Amino acid sequence: MARSVKAALVLCMDVGFSMSDSAPGLQSSFEEAKKVIRKFVQRQVFAENKDELGLVLFGSDGTKNPLADGGQYQNICVHRHLMIPDFELLKEIQNDVQPGSKQADWLDALVVCMDLLQKETLGKKYERLNIAMLTDLQSPVSDDQLDTIIRNLKRAGITLQFFLPFPVDVEQSGMGGDEAGGDGPGSKPLPHGGKGLTREQQQGLKLVRQIMTSMEEEEGLEEVYTFSSAIERLSIFKRIERRPMAWPCQLTIGSALSIRIVGYKAVTEERIKKTWTVVDAQSHKRDDVKRDTVYCLNDDNETEVTKDDTIQGFRYGSDIVPFSKVDQEQMKYKSEGKSFAVLGFTKQSLIQRHQFMGSQVVKVFAAKDDEHAAVALSALIRALHELEMVAIVRYAYDRRSNPQVGAAFPCIKEKYECLLYVQLPFAEDLRFFSFPSLENNKKFTASAEQLSAVDSLIDSMMLMEEDGGEPQDIFKVNHIPNPQFQRLFQCLQHRALNPNAPLPAMEPWLQAMLERPQVVTARCRTQLQEVRKRFPLTEVVHKKEQKTSADVFGKGNAEEPEAKKSREDEEDEFSVAGIAQGVTAVGSVNPDKDFRALVRQKSIPFGQVCQELTCRMEQLLGTKNPHYYSKCICSIRAFREESVKVGNAEFFNSYLQSLKRSVPDRGLQYFWDSLVHDGVMLISKDEVEGSTVTKEESSQFMTTAEKVEAAAPVDEEDTGDVDDLLDMM
Amino acid sequence: MAEWNAYYQNEEDNVEQEEGEESSGDYKYSGRDSLVFLVDASKEMFIKGENGEPTNFDMTMQCVRSVYTSKIISSERDLVALVFYATENSKNPQDSFKNVYVFHDLDSPGAKRVQEVDSLRGEKGAKLAAQMLGSGPTSLGDALWCCSNLYSDIRLRLSHKRLMIFTCRDNPHDGDSGHDLSARTKAGDLKGTGVVIDLMHLVKPGGFDVSLFFCDIISPPEDAEELGLQLEPCAKLEDLQKRVRAKEMRKRAQSRLHLSLGDGVHVAVGLYVLVRTATKPAPIRLYRTTNEPVNTKTRLFHMQTGTLLLPSDTKRSQVYGNRQIVLEKDEVDELKKFDEPGLFLIGFKPVSRLKLHHHIRPSLFIFPEEEMITGSSCLFTALLRKCSERGVFAVCKYTSRRNTPPRFVALVPQKEELDQNQTQVTPAGFHLIFLPFADDIRTLDVHQSPTANSMQIDKMKEIVQKLRFKYRSDAFENPVLQQHFRNLEALALDMLEAEAIEDLTKPKVDLMDQRLGSLVQEFKDLVYPADYNPEGKTATKRKPAEAGGGAEKKPKVEVSEADLRAHVEKGTLGKLTVPVLKEACKQFGVRTTGTKKQELIDSLTEKLSK
Repeated sequence: MARSVKAALVLCMDVGFSMSDSAPGLQSSFEEAKKVIRKFVQRQVFAENKDELGLVLFGSDGTKNPLADGGQYQNICVHRHLMIPDFELLKEIQNDVQPGSKQADWLDALVVCMDLLQKETLGKKYERLNIAMLTDLQSPVSDDQLDTIIRNLKRAGITLQFFLPFPVDVEQSGMGGDEAGGDGPGSKPLPHGGKGLTREQQQGLKLVRQIMTSMEEEEGLEEVYTFSSAIERLSIFKRIERRPMAWPCQLTIGSALSIRIVGYKAVTEERIKKTWTVVDAQSHKRDDVKRDTVYCLNDDNETEVTKDDTIQGFRYGSDIVPFSKVDQEQMKYKSEGKSFAVLGFTKQSLIQRHQFMGSQVVKVFAAKDDEHAAVALSALIRALHELEMVAIVRYAYDRRSNPQVGAAFPCIKEKYECLLYVQLPFAEDLRFFSFPSLENNKKFTASAEQLSAVDSLIDSMMLMEEDGGEPQDIFKVNHIPNPQFQRLFQCLQHRALNPNAPLPAMEPWLQAMLERPQVVTARCRTQLQEVRKRFPLTEVVHKKEQKTSADVFGKGNAEEPEAKKSREDEEDEFSVAGIAQGVTAVGSVNPDKDFRALVRQKSIPFGQVCQELTCRMEQLLGTKNPHYYSKCICSIRAFREESVKVGNAEFFNSYLQSLKRSVPDRGLQYFWDSLVHDGVMLISKDEVEGSTVTKEESSQFMTTAEKVEAAAPVDEEDTGDVDDLLDMM
Repeated sequence: MAEWNAYYQNEEDNVEQEEGEESSGDYKYSGRDSLVFLVDASKEMFIKGENGEPTNFDMTMQCVRSVYTSKIISSERDLVALVFYATENSKNPQDSFKNVYVFHDLDSPGAKRVQEVDSLRGEKGAKLAAQMLGSGPTSLGDALWCCSNLYSDIRLRLSHKRLMIFTCRDNPHDGDSGHDLSARTKAGDLKGTGVVIDLMHLVKPGGFDVSLFFCDIISPPEDAEELGLQLEPCAKLEDLQKRVRAKEMRKRAQSRLHLSLGDGVHVAVGLYVLVRTATKPAPIRLYRTTNEPVNTKTRLFHMQTGTLLLPSDTKRSQVYGNRQIVLEKDEVDELKKFDEPGLFLIGFKPVSRLKLHHHIRPSLFIFPEEEMITGSSCLFTALLRKCSERGVFAVCKYTSRRNTPPRFVALVPQKEELDQNQTQVTPAGFHLIFLPFADDIRTLDVHQSPTANSMQIDKMKEIVQKLRFKYRSDAFENPVLQQHFRNLEALALDMLEAEAIEDLTKPKVDLMDQRLGSLVQEFKDLVYPADYNPEGKTATKRKPAEAGGGAEKKPKVEVSEADLRAHVEKGTLGKLTVPVLKEACKQFGVRTTGTKKQELIDSLTEKLSK
C-alpha cells in the first residue's frame, strides 16, 4: 500500500543513562534501540526511495535544538535534519550515537520532533509524516501539555510509532508473555532481571496508551513494538516496490462497443534498478575506462573499417540482405497505437497454462471514477465467468510496441473484479517435438508397490497443513523475497561498511527459507527410504568428458580399429610388420605406419620421409572426407613422435604452422579442432633442443586457434540472454 | 529411449543450446540438421481429388514451402534438399541416375528457393512440372542412392539426417523384385549412415498399404511401443503439415539436470523448450562496398594512458546512499551463486493452488533422461501418473546454472494425448512453470466499483456466444516477424514491393458487427446512459494526433525567470505542467534524472533557491 511519493520520518532515540542498564547476558536497551535504527536506515538506503529521515537524540549530554531556551528542552539534540539517508548517516549512528549520562522528558523530545517535521516539510509534498520513538520510558515526564501535543499531532497529520523494551500490555497480563500489540509473542524477558516496571515506566505506558488510542482508537496500539520483534522484521531487505503505472485504453468489441479501461502490470519479474558499472581497478573511476568498438574485415590482416563504412544486414536463409536502419524503419510493420480489441471468445479449457507467454500479467479494471464503464466491464467479466470462457484480444501497449495476442480471463474477488490478461503464443513461437510414449511403455511401467510408495511420498510431502478448518499453504512462494536481491544487498552493505573484507557468508535465515520446510523433511523421511528401496536408480558413468578424434571418426568405421589401440601396441606391431613388408614409400592405406617404418629404416633422409608424409596428408585432407581425417591425425601424431625421437623439430613445426594458416581457406576447422582435442601441439624447446618454440608458445599456438573457433558460433547464433529477450518486448 | 539416442551418441556432451537464458557456453554447436524431401513425380501424384481437392503433388509442394519458410525463420543454418523421382527428365550430379531430378541440392534455403518451389504450385505449377520433370519409370533405389550422394557431398558436420518420401503409390515398382531389392539395399545403406527415413504417404484410391513395400524402407519407429507406421494416409494439407512438422523438428534438451527428491534420491531429466518467443534475428554488420560481414570487436581502454585494459584491470561498482561500493568481477558472479544446478523437490500442492496470475516467464518441459541415470523413466512415470491422478503439482527449487540464483517452479503433470491420426499432440511429462517471488507481485490500488445486474450480464452473454470460436495456439502468426521476413524476401529477390501480409491479430470488425447486429445497441442501452460517450476524454485527445499523422507536436511553453522564482518562493511550482517544468529545467541547466513532477519541482527549487 506504500504508494509513497515520499515520506518524512524522524527517529527519536532515548540515549539517557537508564537505557544503558542491562541484565547480565542481555543487551542493554540502548544497544537494541541502536540496532533497530541501524537496520532501519540500512533498509532505507537500499530501498532507494525518496523518503527523508531525521534523527533526534534525547538524554544526551549536550543540547542542540531550536526550542531550547532558558532551561527548557534541555539535553535534546537534533542530530540530523530531514535528509535522504546515506552511508554517512549509518557511520554516524555507528560511531557518534553513544549513551548519555543525563535524562530528558520524552514528551519534550516528541515536541522537538514535531517542530522539526513541521518546519522542514513546509512547502513540499509528503505523503506521510511519521515519528518513531525509541525509549525505555524511564525518564520523568510532565504531561500537562499532553492534550495540546495530541491535538497538534492530529492537525499536522503526523503518525507515531513507539519502540519499547517491553510489550505495551505488560501490565495487564502480569509478567509479559502476551502478544505485544499484534506483534508476535513478546518473548523478551523484562528488563532489570524481570523486576517489573518502575513507577516512571508505568506512568509512561499509561501516557503511551493514552496518546496512541486517542490518535488511532483501538488500532493505535498496533503501532507499539518491542525492540526484538522490530529487529526481526527489519532483517529482511525491503521488497522492491514500484508504483504501478496506469495504462488507460479502450476495450473494444467490434466497431460499436467500447469500454473505458485501465490496465496495471500486476505480476512481472522484478529486477534490481541499478546495474553494475565497469570501473578502473585502481582509481575506481568509471570515466577512466573507455569502451571501444572496432569493425574489421574477415581477411588475413583483419583490416579495420570505420563504422560509417558499414551497413546493417539480415540473414534470410542462405542470403545476407543489406537492409539499412532507415529502410527497415520505413518498411516495418506499423501498429496502430494502443489497443485492447476483442478478437473473439473461446472456452477457458482451450487455453493451456503452459502456453502463457511474455513476462507479465496485466490486470484490467474499468476506468477510474466511471461507473458506467465499471458496469459494462462487470457485465463482461461476469458473463465470461459464468460461461467459463475467455476473451481473445489483440493487445498493443502503444504505437511503438509490437502487438500481441492474449487471453483475458475473468477474475472475481471479494473486493474487486477485473480481467487478467496474459500473452499467448504466436505460431512462430511453438515447437512441436514428439517424445517417446511413457505411459504405454512396459519398461517404464511402475508396479503396484512402486506406485503406492510414490503415493505415500506425495502424502508425506504435501505442503498444505490442515489446521482445523481451512488447509493452510505452508510454503507460499509468493511470500518469499527474491533471495538474489537479499544476498546482493547483504553483500553490498557489508562491502560498503568493510571495504577490505571478503564477502560475508550467506545469512542462515535466507538459506533456510529456500529449503524444504522442516516439518515436511521430518515427515517424509521413511517414505523417501521406501521410494529409494523400490526404485533402483543407477548413475551412468561417462567414460570421458573430452572426446578424442578416434571417438568421433572411428565410430562406425570398421576399417579403422587400430585408431583405438594404444600407442605401445601400435609401435610393436609396426616395428615388426613394417620391416617385414619392406616399406619403400608412404602409402595412402597406412601412411602413419609407413612413415614410422621408413624413419626406422633410415634408408631415406628424414626430411624426405617427412615430405612424403606431408604430401600424402595433403592429398587425404584435400578429399575433405571426414573418413580420412582420422588417418591424418594418426599420421600427424606419428610425425610428431618420430620428430621428437629423431630430435628434429623443424619439419614438423613448419608443417603444423602452414597447416594452421590454411585452415580457414580449406574449411578444415573441424579437423583442426580434433587436433586440438588430441593435444597435438608444436614441438617445444623442452622436447627438442633445436626447436625455436617455447612451451608457452607451443600451447598458445593451439589455443589462439581455439579462441577464434569458440568466438565464431557466438557471433553467428542469436544466443540472447533472457534479459535481452525481455528488453526487446 | 535407447532407440532415439542411438544415432546421436556423439553429441552426448555437446548438445546445441537453444537460444535463451540457459545458453551457458559450456556446450557448443555440434552440427547442422538436414532434411531431404524425396517426392514422387509420377502421373498418379497429379490426379485431382474429387470436389476440386488439390493434387497430392500440389499439397506436397505447399508443405515443402512451409518447411522452407519456417526453416528460414527458425533455423536458417539447417540444410534442405528437394529431389523428385519417377521423372522423365533427369538432373543430378554427373547425371548418373536416370529418372531422378535433383531440384534443390542440400543447402540452407533462401528466398530464391522458396520462389522456385512456389512456381511448382497450383495449375501453373503442374504444367511447369510436366514440362520440366515429366513422369517416367520408377527406381526408388536409384533415387535413394542419389540422395545418399547428396549427403556425402556435404563437407559440414550434420547432426541429424532425415529423409522424407512423399508418395501415393504403395507399390512403386509394380512388383519388380529387382527394383524392390535395390531400393531396400540402398535404404539399408542410408539408415546405416544415420539417415532416418520417413514415409509421408498420401491418399491413394483403394487405400495405401504400407506393408506391401514401404515397411522395409522406412526407419523403425523411434519407440518400440509406439505405433510407428502412420497407417492412415494424409488427406488434408493441414494433417500433412502437422505430421511433417512433428517429424522434422528435432528435439534438443536445453540442459540435463538431476531432479532430487531428497535423501540422495535423484532422477535425471532433460529440459526442453516447447514454446519460446520468436524474435527477429539480430542484424549483421556488413562492409558497405562489398556487403561482406565484418567482425565486431569491443575492447576496453584506459582513458588517460590509452593502454588496453584486461578484464582483470577493471572492477564493478554501484552507488548506494552516496557511497560507491566496489566489487571484483568474480565477486559479482559469486554473489549470484546459491546451489549447484538442478531441481530440488520441496513438496506437493493441489493444482488449485497454482494461480492463473502466477506467471513471469514462458514455461519449460521436462522429460526423463534414462541415459544419465537408469531407472529415471520408471520413477518419473510413476510420479507423473500419481500427480496427475491426485490433481497435485510439485514445487521445486530450480537452479539452471552455477552462478544463477534459484527460482521456484511448479511441475505440472501432463498426460500424453494423441489425435485421431495417432500423431502425438502433447507428450507425457511435466511442464515447468516459473513462480513469482514476493518482489514480483505488485501492489495495486483497487477500488470497489458498481457491478452489473443479471439483465446486463445476460445480454453480454449473448454477445459472447455470438463471437465464439475455437482457439488454437498456432492460429495467429506474428505480423511483425512476418512483415520483416517479407521485406527481406522482397529485397533479396529485387521485388518492387513486399508481399502484403494478413494481420491476423486485427479484429475482423465488419464480420463481428454483422454477427452482433442489434445486440451491441441493446447492451449499450442497458449499461450506458443516453448522453454517455464511452470514447470519453481520451479519444478526443488522441484524435488530433492521429490526424497529424504521427509526430505529436509538443507545445513550446516557457516561463520567465521572474515568474519561476515567484513560484518557488510561494511554493506553487506544482501549478505548472510537466512540459513547462521540463522546459524550465532545460533553461536553467538543471539536470533531471526523473520525469515525475515532484522530482522536477524538487530540482528546480533546489536550483533557484540557492
